[in-house]
Amino acid sequence: MTMVSMMPPQVRIRRQTASGRIALALFVLAVIGLAAMPWWAKTGTIRMVLELCCYVAVAQMWNMLAGYAGLVSVGQQAFMGASGYALFVLAQTFGVNPFLAVFLSLLVPLVLAVPCYLLLHRLDGPYFAIGTWVVAEVFRLVASNLPLVNAGAGMSLSVMKDYSAFQRNIAMSLFCALLVLVSIGGSYWFLRSRFGLALIAMRDNPVAAASQGVNVRRLRFMIYVAAAVGCGLVGAVYFMAQLRINPPSAFDPMWSNIAIFIVMVGGIASIEGVLIGTLIYFIADRWFGEYGASYFVVLGVMTVLVALYARTGIWGMIAARWDAPWFPIRRHLVLERDKP
Amino acid sequence: MQWLDALVQGILLGGMYAQYALGMALMFGVMKIVNVSHGDLVILLSLVGISLASSFGLGPFTVMAALVPLAVGLGWLLQKAVLNRVVGEDPLPSLIATFGLSLALQNLMLQIWSANSRSLPGGGIESRSIQVGGIHIGLLPVIVLVFAVALTWGLDLMLKRTRFGRALRAAASDVEAASMTGINPRAVYAAATAIAVGILGFAAVFQSLRSTVAPADGGAQLIYAFEAVIIGGMGSVWGAFLGAMVLGVAQAIGFRIDPGFGVLAGHIVFLLVLATRPQGLFGRA
Amino acid sequence: MSGAILSTHGLVARYGDFQALYGIDFHIDAGEAVALIGANGAGKSTFLRAVMGLLPVAPDMVRMGGQPVGGTPADRMVQKGVAIVPEGRRLFSGMSVQDNLRVAVDQADRLGRKGGWSLARLHQLFPILKEKARTPVQSLSGGQQQMVSIGRALLCQPRVLLCDEISLGLAPRVIREIYAALPEVRAQGTSVVLVEQDVGLAQSASDRLYCMLEGRVTLTGPSGSVTRDAIGQAYFGGSHAVA
Repeated sequence: MTMVSMMPPQVRIRRQTASGRIALALFVLAVIGLAAMPWWAKTGTIRMVLELCCYVAVAQMWNMLAGYAGLVSVGQQAFMGASGYALFVLAQTFGVNPFLAVFLSLLVPLVLAVPCYLLLHRLDGPYFAIGTWVVAEVFRLVASNLPLVNAGAGMSLSVMKDYSAFQRNIAMSLFCALLVLVSIGGSYWFLRSRFGLALIAMRDNPVAAASQGVNVRRLRFMIYVAAAVGCGLVGAVYFMAQLRINPPSAFDPMWSNIAIFIVMVGGIASIEGVLIGTLIYFIADRWFGEYGASYFVVLGVMTVLVALYARTGIWGMIAARWDAPWFPIRRHLVLERDKP
Repeated sequence: MQWLDALVQGILLGGMYAQYALGMALMFGVMKIVNVSHGDLVILLSLVGISLASSFGLGPFTVMAALVPLAVGLGWLLQKAVLNRVVGEDPLPSLIATFGLSLALQNLMLQIWSANSRSLPGGGIESRSIQVGGIHIGLLPVIVLVFAVALTWGLDLMLKRTRFGRALRAAASDVEAASMTGINPRAVYAAATAIAVGILGFAAVFQSLRSTVAPADGGAQLIYAFEAVIIGGMGSVWGAFLGAMVLGVAQAIGFRIDPGFGVLAGHIVFLLVLATRPQGLFGRA
Repeated sequence: MSGAILSTHGLVARYGDFQALYGIDFHIDAGEAVALIGANGAGKSTFLRAVMGLLPVAPDMVRMGGQPVGGTPADRMVQKGVAIVPEGRRLFSGMSVQDNLRVAVDQADRLGRKGGWSLARLHQLFPILKEKARTPVQSLSGGQQQMVSIGRALLCQPRVLLCDEISLGLAPRVIREIYAALPEVRAQGTSVVLVEQDVGLAQSASDRLYCMLEGRVTLTGPSGSVTRDAIGQAYFGGSHAVA
């Protein structure tokens, strides 16, 4: 030990790493590339990429809920369907510009999430999860009985015919970029903010975090509402591209299956895990999707195995070996050498 | 008269839901876990029962005699192979594991039995009924309710009076203290899940006698069981039973108002209970 | 030390990254009462938990009659004749006094443990437990709860009884009442390990004592012959002393 001076050691807080800078640059390039798709990709490709972006966003929302806020939901499809329907009603029934309506429709999950959370947070641990499923079922049944949304028959978004294929491609590409920017970029920003520190403290130990002044209840509430709006954005964009919506598709529990698979296999409580998991799911879906039921049996068994033997998922295994995060959110104290 | 009829039918329907709910209440009470594949296990057992009945020409009660031990074994296996590894403070691992299991089971059943709805031939008991003061009361729903009462009563008695019941309650209260008193938690858990799934053996026979079953139906049964437990009040088997009655009546009355409103009425009662009395109608505050 | 009924050898234990015990050597003979004293956080409770199999430790670190038993699950330690009165009493709330005690009777029965303790004898030792048999344990006073906790451990028919701060939070009169039961326990041939904050109480109730500081044993010797000074030093730090 050579440090004998009485001065406090020079400490610097390091919040970015080399790997993080590279990843951030790639992320910016990817968002630009997504926005520019109409000039380099065919319509079919754009639709495929849109689906991929929806998976990323839904999975990241689930990751924020389960991985950081400790709120396991199996009913986020409630908010996807709600804003999907809101878009169709605004654009088709009331003639609002559909692209504007995407944003307006986000008010619906925002408003609905508040009472939902106030009710659901009373449920203990795992019961919360089943409660979210009941909420999604309630939404589906209400939509199935509501004349405003054409009840069980569903709706079509024929106003989209007013726009050319190229215009629609531009919109879809911009929405792809927005989905990734908001879900990944937004989460990254949020996790690096002071909320993020509180969130990580809360994940590691809610009781201790509460005693350190972290308002656990308010933070959970905020994340629940934010995730509802995030899933709402996915719903509005996804069903705009689909041009049709009906209660079973709008509130399809399959979205929960996908989100859980992606996050658990990729690695919970990490943005990197969501990206890895999405890629795996997307490729698996293209290659094995045609096998239908047996494909889902494999997905289900894999989810069980991850929960039993590899809780941290693929990214967890990678992170244990190499310390090179793509989205560093931890702060490192770096001891600086004394300089003259 | 129409509403009295709805009330009676609702209580009879509640007998069915009570059989789903008992096992869930038991598992949550002891281990604080919810088995997401709870409903899928009912469907799996139902489909196995239907196949047994048609392959060997068995009557419904013979099928029951075969299914209940099978269900007990299945529950024991579920605990040993999966749940014992995920029991703990954090609800995430057990939820994810059973969620994955649910996905796998549903699709496995889809492959084996196809998406068609099936039912168990009851040899006539499913259509017999008696008339009391202008209300038709089906024989089968009455049998279901009698079984539900008997199962609830038996489970309650077992918890209060037997050595195993005391061990279960001790483990539910403080698992580490229980182990310091000589209880093997894993053995107790395995037995609890075996009982919980074993009860589903009864439920499976009645479900497939009363109506039809298809591989995708499990989610609904899980939700009904859950709602019954929460409405009644967590932590007691009679609470789950009474919650099932309330849920059944709510659905039956909702159905009289509008056939599309039946299930929704049950959900609404659940949400109302959650809003006004989160400890459940019959739970202690 | 070959006569020791229970012993530990270089026992180390950790909670995650935090090491709580640094090589504890300890032994207790049949029928002996040994006190374990030390300040808060010295590792006394951790030591008992590690012995009881509630913390992961290597097999060789804990021995009973020379056989390695370290890391054996708590329910199997009960089978081998170790019982604990845990910190905080840890009763089964929602259950009556009678049912709390019967859990132990049931398990001793199941595990084939035989001994001199029965509900009737326990009721002689703590008559209040008979009176309150049907009362839910959460509505008992602290002293009564402690009696249930001790009774529950005794009904496991232990050869070694581990007691974790059984005087904590109780009125002096109640403490006397509880400690008065110890000779009766020892008369059964049961060895007793007493974790105690009250040094005087620990000294008077034990044959030997160990003093712990920051996860290490800093003093050990016959309870009657260690001096106040030696204990004071061992308790708060300074040079390691063996009296």
